[in-house]
Amino acid sequence: MFNLFKWFKCFKKSGQSKETAKKRLQITLLYDKLEISKDILDDLNQEIIEVISRYFMIDKNALTLDFRKAHHEHLSVLTVNTPILGSKLKKAGS
Amino acid sequence: MPGRIIVITSGKGGVGKTTATFNIGAGLAVKGNRVVVIDMDIGLRNLDIVMGLENRIVFTIVDAINGRCRIKQALIKNRKFDNLYLIPASQSDNKDALTPESVIKLCENLRKEFDFILIDCPAGIEQGFVNSVSAADEAIVVCTPEVTSIRDADRVIGLLYSRQITPKLLINRIVPEMVAKRDMLNHKDVLEFLSIELIGLVPMEEQVIICTNNGIPLVTRKASKAGEAFLRVAMRINGDSNLPIEVPKNHKSFWDKIGVRLKKK
Repeated sequence: MFNLFKWFKCFKKSGQSKETAKKRLQITLLYDKLEISKDILDDLNQEIIEVISRYFMIDKNALTLDFRKAHHEHLSVLTVNTPILGSKLKKAGS
Repeated sequence: MPGRIIVITSGKGGVGKTTATFNIGAGLAVKGNRVVVIDMDIGLRNLDIVMGLENRIVFTIVDAINGRCRIKQALIKNRKFDNLYLIPASQSDNKDALTPESVIKLCENLRKEFDFILIDCPAGIEQGFVNSVSAADEAIVVCTPEVTSIRDADRVIGLLYSRQITPKLLINRIVPEMVAKRDMLNHKDVLEFLSIELIGLVPMEEQVIICTNNGIPLVTRKASKAGEAFLRVAMRINGDSNLPIEVPKNHKSFWDKIGVRLKKK
C-alpha cells in the first residue's frame, strides 16, 4: 500500500530545484561572458522584432533569442527563432 | 621520457582540489609512476596535512626556488608510497614570493626526475593561479554540481583556453540520492555548461573526511567509492583512456528505483 502511495508521488512535481539552477546558470554564464544585462537583451529583442517586422509578418510574442555555447570552442552563438506568418514585400515596395 | 606537468585547479575554493591532487598522485604512484605533488597555496598550505606529512616539513617550495635549499631537500617522501613526494608550500610568505618563471624553472628540473608533477593550485585567479598554471602542460578542473562552482569553473576554463591548455573536468561531491530527486545537477547537466572532456565522477562520501582526518589516501581503501573513482582518474591520466567513466549510483530499494524512472519520463 505504501509503495502504491509512492507511485502516485512520482507523478507529483517535487523538489527538482535543479531546473531552477540550470535556468539561473544559463543566464548568469551568458551575462558573465558577454557582459550584457537583461535590459540590453530586451532592447536587442525589441529591435530585432522591429527589423524583421519590416519584411515579414511575425508573431512578436513567439520570437525567441537563444544564446548557446558553440561546441568544442569557447564561442557563443545567438539564434533568433520566429515563425513567419506572411510576407510584407508588397508593402515594402509601395 | 620527461614527466608530465598537470595543474589541478577550480577557481572556487573548497571543492576538493587538494584531496583530488593527493589521491590522483597516490593513484599514479600505486601504478608505478614517480610522482611529486606541489602545494602552490603559499600562505595557506594544506596539502601537507591532507597527506599526513605536516610534521615533516623542513624546507618549502619558496626555499627551493630562492636557493635556500636544493630541490631534493624540499622533497618530502610519503612513507606509504615509495614513489610519492610532496613539495610543501611556505606558510610565512605570500603568493608574490614566486614568479611564473621561477615555477617553470623548478618544474623543468623536476620533469627530469619524475613521471608526473601535479600542481595543487590555490583558489582564485590571481598571482597564485598564474604561478600554478604557467608551468603546466595539462589541466584538470575540479567542480561540484553547484551553481557557484560551475560558474567559477567556466571562468577558469576560459582562462586555461587562453593559455592554450585544453582542460579536463573532474566532477566531485556528487550525491546520487539528490541527483535522483532532481535536486542536484547530474553530470550531463554540468557538461552542458562546461563543454570539456570529462575525466572522472567522484561521489560525496564520509570516507573522504575520515581519510583527511587520518592523513591517509582514499585510493588504497577498498570500500571507498570516492577512492575508486580517483584511482580510475589516475589510470585514465596514466594512459588507460578507454576506461569507462562510472556514474555514481545510489543503492536504494527496487520501488525507489521505479519511482526515479517514472519521474524521468
